[in-house]
Amino acid sequence: MEFERLKSLAISDSGFIFDPASGHSYTTNGTGVSIITALKSGANPGDIAPLIMEEYQVSPDDAERDVADFLDGLRKLMLI
Amino acid sequence: MQLTIAVSGINAIDNPGPGTGIVRALRESALAAEVDLRIIGLAYDSMEPGIYMHDIIDKSYLMPYPSAGRDSFLNRIAHIHERENLSVIISALDAELPLYIDVKDMLRERFGIRMLIPDRTMFQLRDKTRLKELAERIGIKVPEYTVCGSYGDFTAAVESIGCPCMVKGPFYEAFKAYSPAEADEHFHKIVNKWGYPVIVQSFIKGDEYNVIGCGDGKGADFGLFAMRKMTVTNLGKVWNAVSIDNKPVLEAARSMVEHLHWSGGFELETMVDAKGDIYLIEVNPRFPAWVYMAAAAGINLPERMVRLLTDRVFEKHSNYSSGKLMIRFTGEMLRDIADFEKIATVGEL
Repeated sequence: MEFERLKSLAISDSGFIFDPASGHSYTTNGTGVSIITALKSGANPGDIAPLIMEEYQVSPDDAERDVADFLDGLRKLMLI
Repeated sequence: MQLTIAVSGINAIDNPGPGTGIVRALRESALAAEVDLRIIGLAYDSMEPGIYMHDIIDKSYLMPYPSAGRDSFLNRIAHIHERENLSVIISALDAELPLYIDVKDMLRERFGIRMLIPDRTMFQLRDKTRLKELAERIGIKVPEYTVCGSYGDFTAAVESIGCPCMVKGPFYEAFKAYSPAEADEHFHKIVNKWGYPVIVQSFIKGDEYNVIGCGDGKGADFGLFAMRKMTVTNLGKVWNAVSIDNKPVLEAARSMVEHLHWSGGFELETMVDAKGDIYLIEVNPRFPAWVYMAAAAGINLPERMVRLLTDRVFEKHSNYSSGKLMIRFTGEMLRDIADFEKIATVGEL
């Protein structure tokens, strides 16, 4: 997975995301902010579910599913 | 010191000309603090809003239509110059540009009026009918298109390209047609208004990214600014836009300036599809109507152009922030009928 495009995104705490190359903007929730922030700081996708589990007190299955779904969304938007 | 600049395209209507944006950019520039800036509006119709915008345009004159010929055009400029002592003319309308190209040297020699505009070769190389050649040279794609000189050509082109397609006039106006019948309707509308050729272009689904810039005529630009159209009017004119930092699109603009040795303001219009491929839609040979957006974001091209033409130091950078939003709005003003009477009868206000 390529994360170069993701690294150029501007993301605010409110979940507002701006892509300076395309001018598109998106909104996400707190979990999305945590996932993108982790990816931008160089975390591997496989390392993110435990972070989500701990931060949001969810089961490992839920965390893994949420991360997978979110990555799928980013892929569809061609952000990764 | 007074510096008098004439600006055309002050028709700030639903299909806006760039003139009032150029004037606002000049009024808000650092140059305005250095000199006593006098702005003259050059209009073709008594109802062009810029004529009545006395807060930014000091005086306006009606011009003869370019179709009236070179002599009549030159005589009018001579008359205006005699009264106003023009230093610079910024032409902002495609239809008048060929005439200015013809008289540019004469204006400089006879009156000392300077202009930064393309020459005839550059003007022709960016013509809508020659986009394929230009796109290849600057390394981007071009939608399939056919230049039609007759109704027969047109129906054949629509059949071959298929719908939806874009139907475009030689200078202005472009309509999306979802069916041959709709294309037909647009064809007649364009021919009646602008004549031939009519261009049929395949429709590219994607985002419209446009670049404004200014070339020095020697292969270098002195400022580029890119934006994505967020919303457009029914006429396809931008209503909201956001500044972007899209390196391939900016590079295409830089390459165009280098390849054509472009002189003057321009707008590079592109479409970027879902795969990220860039398609050249057209090159407008003057500043676009959204010129103020770039100026407000720090790339004040009208100011830089005037500084260049009047031998002043000017910036050449393209450093601006992405994520700056342009919000166009409507507005009204109230003027006395005497103003209309004056411009309609005397030709100046």
